[in-house]
Amino acid sequence: MWKFIAKRLGSALAVLFAASLLLYVLVINSGDPLKDLRESNADNREYLMAQRVEYMNLDAPWYGRYWDWLTGASKCLIGQCDLGRNINGVEVSGLLANAASSTLRLVVLATVIAAVLGIAIGVLTAIRQYSGLDYIVTFLTFLFFSLPVFWAAVLLKEYLAISYNDWLADPQISVGTSIAIGIVVGLVLQMFLGGSLKRRGITFFASAVFVPLVLQYSLWLNFYRYPQMGPAIIIVLTALLALSATAMSVGLKEKRVLYPALITVVLVLAMYYATFYMLLEPNGWILFFGLVLAVVIPAAIGRFMGGRLRKAAMSVSIITGVAGAALTIIDHLFRAWPRFLDVKGRPIATIGSSTANLEGGFWDHFLDNGTQLLMPTILLAVISLASYSRYTRSSMLEVQRQDYIRTARSKGLSERTVIFRHAFRNAMIPIATIAAFDFAGLIGGAVITERVFGWKGMGEMFATGLDHVDPAPVMAFFLVTGTAAILFNLLADIVYALLDPRIRV
Amino acid sequence: MRFQRVSKAVAVGAALALALSACAPGGGDTGADASKDANAGGGNGSAEAANSGKADLGDITTADDTINVTVGAPEFISYNGFTPNTYSTYNSAIVDRMFAGFSYFGTDGTLYPNEALGSYEKVSDDPLTIKYTIAEDAKWSDGTPITVADSVFAWAVQNLNLNEGSKEKPLFNSVSVDLGDTVPEGPQGDWDGKEFTVEFAEPDPDWALQTWMLHPAHVVAEESGMSTEELVSAIRAGESDKLKKAADFWNEGWMTDPGKLPDEKISPVSGPYKLGSWKAGESVTLVANENYYGPAPATKELTFRFLEDASMVQALQNKDVDVINPQPTVDTLAQLENLGDAVAIQKGDTLTWEHLDFNFAEGNAMTNLELRKAFAMCVPRQQIVDNLVKPLNPDAIVMNAREVFPFQDNYQEVVDASYDGRYDEVDIEGAKKILEEQDAVGTEVRIGYSAPNERRANEVSAIKSSCDEAGFKIVDSGSADFFSPNGAQDRGDYEVALFAWAGSGQITSGQNIYATGKPQNFGQYSNPEVDAAWETLASSLDPAVHAEQTKKIEKLLWDDLFGIPVFAHPGLSASGSDIQNVRHTATQDQIVWNAEQWVRAE
Repeated sequence: MWKFIAKRLGSALAVLFAASLLLYVLVINSGDPLKDLRESNADNREYLMAQRVEYMNLDAPWYGRYWDWLTGASKCLIGQCDLGRNINGVEVSGLLANAASSTLRLVVLATVIAAVLGIAIGVLTAIRQYSGLDYIVTFLTFLFFSLPVFWAAVLLKEYLAISYNDWLADPQISVGTSIAIGIVVGLVLQMFLGGSLKRRGITFFASAVFVPLVLQYSLWLNFYRYPQMGPAIIIVLTALLALSATAMSVGLKEKRVLYPALITVVLVLAMYYATFYMLLEPNGWILFFGLVLAVVIPAAIGRFMGGRLRKAAMSVSIITGVAGAALTIIDHLFRAWPRFLDVKGRPIATIGSSTANLEGGFWDHFLDNGTQLLMPTILLAVISLASYSRYTRSSMLEVQRQDYIRTARSKGLSERTVIFRHAFRNAMIPIATIAAFDFAGLIGGAVITERVFGWKGMGEMFATGLDHVDPAPVMAFFLVTGTAAILFNLLADIVYALLDPRIRV
Repeated sequence: MRFQRVSKAVAVGAALALALSACAPGGGDTGADASKDANAGGGNGSAEAANSGKADLGDITTADDTINVTVGAPEFISYNGFTPNTYSTYNSAIVDRMFAGFSYFGTDGTLYPNEALGSYEKVSDDPLTIKYTIAEDAKWSDGTPITVADSVFAWAVQNLNLNEGSKEKPLFNSVSVDLGDTVPEGPQGDWDGKEFTVEFAEPDPDWALQTWMLHPAHVVAEESGMSTEELVSAIRAGESDKLKKAADFWNEGWMTDPGKLPDEKISPVSGPYKLGSWKAGESVTLVANENYYGPAPATKELTFRFLEDASMVQALQNKDVDVINPQPTVDTLAQLENLGDAVAIQKGDTLTWEHLDFNFAEGNAMTNLELRKAFAMCVPRQQIVDNLVKPLNPDAIVMNAREVFPFQDNYQEVVDASYDGRYDEVDIEGAKKILEEQDAVGTEVRIGYSAPNERRANEVSAIKSSCDEAGFKIVDSGSADFFSPNGAQDRGDYEVALFAWAGSGQITSGQNIYATGKPQNFGQYSNPEVDAAWETLASSLDPAVHAEQTKKIEKLLWDDLFGIPVFAHPGLSASGSDIQNVRHTATQDQIVWNAEQWVRAE
């Protein structure tokens, strides 16, 4: 095994080296780094050109320049990276740190959302193969997949930012619009929930009546500028969740699961009051530890009281605890919203990852980051939704045709168990590989998304460097993305090798 | 060689790349009136400007507010934007707000003294001697008075005689390097005083453009372990070895990683704004300098955001930014006009102009004056302006001069004296006749330009459809490497080059283009009369002589057909209608030239 890994690592390094040489030569020959000066009519053009030639070492042969870069970059192996400076004399390592962090912020959430939603949609469409839902969802995912990012971004900015901000200044929804929204929600819901014709009809009518009423009520409350929830609603929602999670896992009769869940609900209420003042002005650590406690304490309760059913008791309690904590956070966000609107009158800006020099406390910055992340995340997620959902769908369909699924069904297992225990798990194997590669690719940055939303990420650094025929930033980009791609590749190889001895040649 | 032009940071010269890369179709603007109605787009209630300089806002207090502006996507680079690496129009748009100079350019390229910093006057013509007086209350933002020491340091930075062995290796890595030779002695006066004189070795009509105020000498001195007095005397004595540390600090000491500003202690400013915060990749915020001695800036914070052109209009619409400066295109203008009253659009000509230049290299068909005349007759200049520029601006006109622009006061006078209007109308028959007489029917004319450039491609196709009729064979030889070494321009494989020069406020800049053997005389044009006229102009300090020689040169260039001017490039910017005092400028200072006067209406 070790020999195998060493071999793979060796060849990975060789690939990286060869690719860096190729890229370096391609970059320095991709254009004229003096182009802007050549077309200048400044009197000291010649002097400026000579300065740049000397600064960028343009007179040196390609192997000399590459060697200079390589010696600097190879110091990364001993932790003293010298990635050189860009055409403006700025240290590339500093540029890289900023670019990488902004790309990660942009990409991680979008990838996770796309993976989770994509897989869920894939499973759903596989179960209801060739239904109306399947066709519509397939159509939509392909539509999203083929959206030009640039154009979609312009539309998102127009509706989600500009129109929303205008609307928020004085939120109004006419009765007609409310009814229309209700009908649409009803149609979508009945499609997703499915069932017999009667059940679909009930779903549709219930939501078509309920949604318009809720919309008008929320307007009357001025909910969109002064949202509110309060402990009562938190408790009702958490309790409902605890009950339904218990019912779905083992049934309400199992006191060993029900009691820990209900105790967790009570704890949520207690914690809501206990942490109220602390959470008015928290920091990231408080939230993080809060989340850890929201997992650990219910887990402990479930473990002690669960007995034979401790596994189910633990997961139901954890779900309840985390949901309660999340609702508590949302409650505080609701409280912070009116104040946030005071410091940032138009909450969704079309550009930037956050507002410069924003005044206000933790929640204001939290909301600011959130609102700024909204549009690029939606855009990136919607576009990569298609590949996840399609792969999952076909993988699920494939697995469902296997003999062991039929065996499981004939044993009399419930449909839920068959699909999630037996089919879904096996269908996930190829998806895991895709997700790994997808993430490696996304680190390379979403050039266009970054540009239209005014984030300076990895893609932007690469494009600007190439534009100036400036090898240092391009090579830094390559170093990160190339290494990521090769590492993930290696990881996949190793995992395969561990799973399947036949691969170890 | 002269380097003064660069020393006026942005406004002058160097950034032609911007103009050449403006690949989208654009247009001119209000033509002759651009400078006069510069106020028109300024939003409601702006202060009325008496001339093309900054308006007098009277006694104002700084409003506690932030104005967001974007001039483009490139990131802020450094507090010191005066090295070849850091010098860019984008960086200058920011740092120019932080440093006061003795003069600035008005909206039409006229030079105005900056009375806040001080005053200057010519005290002698021979040798040319200028006396500068720094205002008594002028001080850096850290409280240190601005003195002659700072001017001596500015001179040192631009002095190639301070070097490591040879002029090839100057101590200070600066964009402007000739002051050591043009003003051999540097500023004369007590180092801690407020008055100094500079004496030029040769008469220099552009003396007022020289930079005598840059970075704080006291900071450089302290960082290099000297007293300011020691620094000044080392500079004056030309002791390069003693200055090594100071130069190293000046070259590198202000460079920081993106997002980290240099310590406020080492980055005091002399202008209305100082560095406040920097969000890497997204924005730099300048805050009002509370120790500023001139008129208080109108708004406390000025945030520069780094935005692509394509996202500017929506950002303006969503009020994420208040002032934008996009490349002028028909699409952008249409989008802005769709926003109606919410925005004010500033349009106008810029000091960049499009022209067709002939190749005078030996053996080239265009060395024949008659063929040049025939070509000039068939070029549909009016049609080009009508089709490619007027969609943006119905008032655009064909440009008939090289050294003056349609929006400048003396334009009509110069044109009247040099050009009789003979190429105003397309004359296919006339061109045909000349070609037949010269037995040159079917002459191939390769029009080269830096591609891709949609507007220029359209210009060439308009010329082709007209001139082919007259008997020329026009070839569109635009290519990406037209100006590169071994490109078509370098090899001389073209008859006509289509490109733009960025005009400067400099009086003598044209000498480099039109005089024999000069570096920017790409087509190898040579006319002893033109050379002599430039010589006279460059060695005189008398505006009357300048005016006289300019007319003479223009006439000679028209008679010889050096090339054909076509139009002045348009400029476009827009601001939220609640922002006052935003004014278009033709210079490369861009829209931010008077940013310290912007203020949001109550």
